[in-house]
Amino acid sequence: MSGLPDDYLAYPHRRRGMDHDRYPFRILPRTAPVQWPGGARIALWVAVHVGHFPLDMPLKPFIAPGGMERPYPSFWDYTQRDYGNRIGIYRLMRAMAARGVPGTALISAALAREYPVLMDDIAAAGWEPACAGLDMGHLHHGGVAEAEERAWIAEATALLRGRFGGALRGWHSPAHSESHRTPDLVAEAGYAWTAAWANDDMPYAFATRAGTLAAMPLSQDLADQRMLFQQTMATEDFTDAILAAHAVLDAEARATGGGRILTLSVTPWLMGQPHRIRAFERLLDAILARGGVWPATASGIMEAWQAQR
Amino acid sequence: MLKTPGHYAFMPWRRRPRITWPGGARIAFWVVPNIEHYEYDPPPNARRMPWPRPLPDIAGYSWRDYGNRVGFWRMAEVMARHGVRGSVSLNVAVCDHYPEIIERCCELGWELFSHGTYNTRYFYGMSEDQQRAVIRENREAILRASGQSMDGWLTPAISNDETTQHILAEEGILYTLDLLHDDQPTPLVTRSGQRLVSIPYSLEVNDVPLFVMRNTPPARYAAICKAQFDTLYEEGAESGTVMCLPIHPYLVGQPHRVAALEEVLRHVTGHDKVWLATGREIAKHYIAHHLAAHEAWIAEGTP
Repeated sequence: MSGLPDDYLAYPHRRRGMDHDRYPFRILPRTAPVQWPGGARIALWVAVHVGHFPLDMPLKPFIAPGGMERPYPSFWDYTQRDYGNRIGIYRLMRAMAARGVPGTALISAALAREYPVLMDDIAAAGWEPACAGLDMGHLHHGGVAEAEERAWIAEATALLRGRFGGALRGWHSPAHSESHRTPDLVAEAGYAWTAAWANDDMPYAFATRAGTLAAMPLSQDLADQRMLFQQTMATEDFTDAILAAHAVLDAEARATGGGRILTLSVTPWLMGQPHRIRAFERLLDAILARGGVWPATASGIMEAWQAQR
Repeated sequence: MLKTPGHYAFMPWRRRPRITWPGGARIAFWVVPNIEHYEYDPPPNARRMPWPRPLPDIAGYSWRDYGNRVGFWRMAEVMARHGVRGSVSLNVAVCDHYPEIIERCCELGWELFSHGTYNTRYFYGMSEDQQRAVIRENREAILRASGQSMDGWLTPAISNDETTQHILAEEGILYTLDLLHDDQPTPLVTRSGQRLVSIPYSLEVNDVPLFVMRNTPPARYAAICKAQFDTLYEEGAESGTVMCLPIHPYLVGQPHRVAALEEVLRHVTGHDKVWLATGREIAKHYIAHHLAAHEAWIAEGTP
């Protein structure tokens, strides 16, 4: 038996800390407490995935969650996602406005071209706009050439900056997928925060060749796309899980004297459905009723965190 | 290729020689936190790609990373609160990457055993010498980091090759978790005749299959684990059983799941005839008191 190549037993990055240079290892319970405005214990960050799924999107190297899983032309998949941009997001806007909760829209930039009116309405709602790539058919991954990836980011940024100007500060890589250099290109394009690495409950500094990005905690595990769509759980299983997370984070905030972030990673074509919007409203009411909650945007949270670093 | 693993004799679930646990316990309950590092840029293996997405799979990587930064600490606190020690299925490179975690495990009196070097380095296709080299290096690293002898083994991602169990026996490992054939410890057959026992692990109440593959909500997870315990506790009145609760910090340490883990531990520790053991303790007790009787029963044809 000849076995595996010798270097299969070589570990060039076996060392103290991480096996890459993006951030040092950090232990959350040993991290300095962060105070939120008004002494709030929980910053409530509602991140809304405003995605465009082209009918002819590539299915390789993998199908993004919500992508065209049925044979072309899948009106089944396309129109269900598009429902979110026409109907679902407006339901979310109403539910959130009624409760004084701002959103952070993670926008497929192609929508600035397709549905400029939707961009106006996002701005009018007082939501923070963030760029989630060109569209769900442009996944950033290790097989994309640097020049091509840079061009995608430039095009997406120009589309959204053309509408939102300097308010555009955040980037979320579609489907939590990146190449080795995505964070560098994103920082070079002038963004301040990213959210694709789901490895913490609090912000941390993420190094790039063009300076530091704030990494914001956008869970992919506790997310409606994961639990309701991919895992086909009941709506109440998702909302119960959020409330369970709130209880733990709130208790940690009380115990440590530092704030925590409860992130709702929600999607208009899922939570904006008529049969789910009531559960979403009840969820917001339940969270707010627990007290000590600061409803905030990503940039609001980032600024509060940065001011105390 | 093998038709069967060939490591164990048939042992029907009736009239087995009785297993007794210390203190008259019916069940040995042990918790196995899998403390892992999945590499950012691992080499490929011909039989399995380390990540489902093209490298870097930052979705998968950052999810595992959460376990070491956040989940481990939450999970360890819940276990300590209920007086439950862990037997750590350890990717041994964690000793180098995150010594703070090893230090905390040692403070808590947890056992460390090997789960290979990284969870992204599979045993599929390794030569015997390569397998032996990893096992020996892991033993030295665990000894250096904790002063403990490496007595147990779970191949990373259960990626064992045909000869792995033989080599474990030859290297003096006491117990392996690569086989899922039983609810009690059992003797294993190895080519050299050297001793190796199997201790029950689990893929049924393991949080990876439940949360990741079977889409289980937290409350349902707790109900499944409690039902597993209740049956094994009941059957343990006849002959001592083992329940293993394998957990992963990046899953049970999430804020929406940690209360479910706590509910399971509260349920288990609320029973009086439970031996809260480690893998090493179970293996040593079994070897000292029951292994010979099991082997004799097998030799007699399991009457």
